[in-house]
Parts: sequence; structure tokens; C-alpha cells
Amino acid sequence: MSFFDRHPRARWAVPAGSAALIVAGAAVTPLAATADDALEPRTAQELLVALTEPTTTTVSGTVATVADLGLPALPGDMAPARGPLALAMGERTVRVWTDGPARQRVALLERSAETTLVRNGTEAWVWSSADATADRYELPPPEDGAKERPDRLPGTLPRTPQEAATMVLDALDPTTEVTTSGLATVAGRDAYELLLQPRDDRTLVERVAVAIDGETNVPLRVRVYSTKQADPALEVGFTSVDYATPDPALFTFTPPPGAEVTEHPAAAQQDLEALAGGLEGAGDDAEPIVVGEGWSAVLVATLPVDGLADLAESGSRAQEEWDGQEDPAATALALLQAMPTTSGDWGTGRVLAGTLFSAIVTDDDRVAVGAVPPDVLGAALAAR
Amino acid sequence: MSAAEATGLSGGGPAHPREAAALPALERPRGVLAASARLLRSELRLILGRRRNQAGLLVLASVPIMIAIAIRAEGPGEGDGGPGLISAVTSNGVFVALTALTVEIALFLPLAVAVLSGDAIAGEANLGTLRGLLAVPVSRTRLLAVKYASLTIGALIGVLVVVGTGLVVGGALLGLGPTTLLSGTQVPLAEALLRVGIAAAYIAAGLAALAAIGLFVSTLTEQPIAATITTTVVATAMWILTTIPQLDWLHPWLLVQRWPAFADAFRDPVFWDTMRTGLLVDVGYAAVFLALAWARFSNKDVTS
Repeated sequence: MSFFDRHPRARWAVPAGSAALIVAGAAVTPLAATADDALEPRTAQELLVALTEPTTTTVSGTVATVADLGLPALPGDMAPARGPLALAMGERTVRVWTDGPARQRVALLERSAETTLVRNGTEAWVWSSADATADRYELPPPEDGAKERPDRLPGTLPRTPQEAATMVLDALDPTTEVTTSGLATVAGRDAYELLLQPRDDRTLVERVAVAIDGETNVPLRVRVYSTKQADPALEVGFTSVDYATPDPALFTFTPPPGAEVTEHPAAAQQDLEALAGGLEGAGDDAEPIVVGEGWSAVLVATLPVDGLADLAESGSRAQEEWDGQEDPAATALALLQAMPTTSGDWGTGRVLAGTLFSAIVTDDDRVAVGAVPPDVLGAALAAR
Repeated sequence: MSAAEATGLSGGGPAHPREAAALPALERPRGVLAASARLLRSELRLILGRRRNQAGLLVLASVPIMIAIAIRAEGPGEGDGGPGLISAVTSNGVFVALTALTVEIALFLPLAVAVLSGDAIAGEANLGTLRGLLAVPVSRTRLLAVKYASLTIGALIGVLVVVGTGLVVGGALLGLGPTTLLSGTQVPLAEALLRVGIAAAYIAAGLAALAAIGLFVSTLTEQPIAATITTTVVATAMWILTTIPQLDWLHPWLLVQRWPAFADAFRDPVFWDTMRTGLLVDVGYAAVFLALAWARFSNKDVTS
């Protein structure tokens, strides 16, 4: 006669125990691999140098991005579900494969869809499964000594830790205190953590933490903290990483039959840049100016043409014709309408108070953006 | 057959002590296994023989047929809010099978599992056949294990009917051939079919975890319809919870949250992370609810 035959009620302990084990197991697993003293201590200076000297150029893995930028919530269907803009909202998963500076593949995973960027030398493809389009870009060959950069798509949010770290380091100057906060574990790897703290107390950025693989010096995770909240406002980090050489087949792309292929020759891209430059220069005082410096710098610009009115018109048109396809104008208008109005000695307008940056769009078509609270933006607008 | 039956009987409760003593020690567990296998076979015959279950399979099969006819008539939907899975490029049988799977994991497949699990214990109790079953020389734990195995096989059959009908009817109306993955890579039909198989197995595993919930509910009542409704409500409520962003802390714990991850089998290379986590969640749910069903069923007074 077994124990459970003599104590039938004790059987209930089995499901209770297994449930407790599962919950505890799931809660503990992420914490289990806490960093120990596996790595020699390094100074912040050593870490900065190490960042520029990765011991490998083949990095693959899965990257999770979490953004809590404080953007106003859009009505469900209007929120961008795919593409680079989607990275600015909520949590996303990105798969990356890198083989040297000239060969990359980045896949932005979406629900039952995918946007894939494949770069191989001077050729780059952007594939979007949702609308079955393939865009082929011809890139200019890298110049000698020129800084190699992964090709940037519209949208300036970092997609990989490497890209994010580069952006942060570019911004480094005497305005920042650089320290280390010890060790961390990212994607199961022991890592150093570099801490960048703005000395300027007017900025919304509280600190930036960069985790660097102790063995390969590859940046594994970047966290940007806001003064407004305890959790990171922006986090880009590997959840799994692999330093083996990726399958070369990953860096070739052949558009599938039925795909709509668009060619973008290298020359056209330069035209596009010239056009963008022309737009920025349009109008009398359209030239954007920077007020202040360092972390609290504010960019003040004038919207091209009739700015708001134009946007409102094209936005509402897009909303009327909205057929489930995403339209940047409609999204922008929805964002704008969700912003509260504000006023100051600079005039009136709408304000976006995010966790890492703020923006003011005035009624007379001026816009001010910066990693500062709205009152600093107002001061910059008034000084103009 | 008769020899197996004899050992099976002697495994549970020999008529004469002498007979049991005469059997080699190794024969006895095999006898129990054989009895369980026989029970499972009769259970599956019972499930597949029921008219309502056959009608249910027809309903499951009707969805891919309707999808295939709709695509044949209208062309792949664009921006109509449909599942949209590789629709624009892959209008073939593989697409029909996957779209049908996407549509049916929301309600029809969980409902099918709920019906089967309602019948499993509560149905037998309601008909008064549960007592008779317990007279078969297998313990209650084994009876429960056999019931769960038959539910799992039933769930697998349901998924295979959906996918198989989609491939056959979709293939007949739209053709079968090389398939474009979500990542834009085109793969030959054989590889596409292998990936469909992975997706089907993954969904079947999720449904098997739901069947564990259904089995537990089924031990609580003697009304099969009550067990069926409860299980369906549980599945549907979880789907509703996944759509409420304010409850995102709860989402990783919901059984159905990662079911749509079967689409990750159609990335290049296959993205296993989400499906691996999904399987862990499945195993967790199955373990807890099977243990609950076991604790309840072993303590239960079977009066009818």
C-alpha cells in the first residue's frame, strides 16, 4: 500500500508543488546566471578602448528592443505594426547576422510577417513580407579610411547593440561622466558594464549603461535610463549571441517570384540626399539651429512649406482613405492630435513630453526637439 | 489475441493466487501495458466512431475548403485584415493550410479538444459507463493516462485534418509548389511540407496542454456539456486576455499566447526561440493540470 493510498488528500500536494516549482523556476531562471568574479576588473578608459577593438567581426544572435519613450498611445489600428518606426513602440525582436563590416542581415520579426535587410558589399536588399516588395539599393563602395557603417534605413533608432554603442560614443564629450558599474550577464555571457552619466542636470537622460562582452569586447546591451522612471526607457540587447561565422547563404537575397522589385541605383540615392538637403534649406529662416550644447542641446527648426496645415490635410485625407495600409502622414497626424496643447512667451503649440526627449510644435510651424523637459524647449524657442 | 488477453487479465487481478505465482515476474508489467494499449485502441475507436466527432472533423475540414475556394474566386486578400500570412506571394496549398490553422486555433480546434475532454471522464460518468471501465484491470492512474493519450491523439488528428485538407484542396484548386517564406527565401515543396509538419506538431502540442485542462475539468463534473463549455471558456478567455495590453505582465503565462508562433517555422532560418518557450509553457500547463486531474480522479467516489 503506497503513501497516497493511505493519505489520499496528500495527492493534492503534487499539483500544488509542481505549480509552485514551475512559477519559481520561471521567475528564477533569468536571475540564476548572476555575474560572478569571472572577469578581471577594468577601468572605464580600458572599456572605451576595448569597445573599439572587438576581437571578432562575426556576430549573430537575437536582439530584443524595448522602448518606453512616453509617446502617446495611438488608437489600436493606427499604431505602426511593422517597419523601423515600430521599433520605437513597445517590445520587438530582431535577428542579426554579421560577417565583417560589409555583410549583414537584419530581420525585424513581426507577427506573421518580416522585414529583412540583407547587405552584401555594395548591394543591399530590403524585403517586406507584408506587401511582398523587394527594394534593391546600390551602395557606393567604401572609401579608404572612411568609417564603415551598416546601411541606415529611415529612422534613427539603433537596431543592434553595435550601432547603438557607436551612436552613444559619438555623443561622448566632456559633458559626460564615464564610469563602470561592475559586471553584468547578458545573453549568458559575462560582461563589463560601462556607465555614462550626463553632468548636465537639465537633460532627461539619467544614465546610459553599455554592457560589453568580457571576452570579445562586443557591446551586448545598451540601456538608456530616463530621469522620469526607474525602468530603462530604451533597451537594445542580445538575448542570445553566437560568434561563429554565419552561413554565407544568409547574405545573398534573390527576390521570390511574384515580388514587386524596385531598383534604387547609387546615383538616385545621392539625388535623394540633395533633395532632402533642399527641403531643409527651403524657406527664409528654415535652417535648423541648435540652442544650448551637450546633453541639453535643443534643435529648433521651421517646418517646410505650410507644415502643420499641410500635414493635417494629408493626414486627414489618409485617415479618410484608410484601408488598413499604414500611412506615415496619418500616423503623424494621430500622434500630433494626441499631444496636449501648451503655451509660453514663445507662443502656443502642441507638446510631446516623452521619457527621453520632448518636442514642441508651435502653431506658427516651428518645431523644437531635445533630450530635455518641455520648459527647456520653451526657453530655447523664446531665445530664438 | 487471447493470450494477450489472458496475461492482461492476470496483470490486474488474477482469479487464482496460484496462477499469478506461476507467471514469470517480467510478464506482469507487460500485461498491464497490453491492457492499457487495448484500452487506448478501444478509446480511439469510440472517439472516432461517434457521429458528433465525425461531424466536428467535417467542420474543421470545411474551413480550409472555404479558404481555398475564396482565394480561387477572389485572389489572395490584400489589406482586408485577414491573417495575411505570406499571402501576397504564396497562393498555393501550403498557404491555405497555414491560413486555416491560423483561423482555427482561435476557436474551432480548442472547441474540438473541449468536446473530446468533456466526453473523456464526465461523459462516461454521465452514461454510467465509468464504473464499468474501472473494472478493467488497469489502475485509475493508468485509465487517466490512457484517456489523456487518446485526447492528445484526438487533438493531433484534428490538426492533421485541417492541415491535410488545406494541402489537398488548396493544392487541387491553387496548385502546390515552391513556397516563399516570410524572410523572402523560396524553398522547394518538400522543405515547405516539412515546415508545415513542424507547425502542425507545435499546434498539436499546445492543444494537448489544453486537453490536460479539459481532462481535469472533466473529473470535476458528471455533465459532459459543462466540462466542454468550461474548457472552451478557459481557452477563449485566455485569447481575450492576450489582447488586453494593460495585462502584459500576465501574457507570458497564458497558454495560448505563443500559439501563433507556429508562423516562426516559416522564417529563414527557422526561429526556434518562441516555439521553444511555447513548448515549455505547454509542458508546464500539462504537468500541473494532469497532476490536478490525477489527485481529483483518484480521490473521486465513482457512483455511476
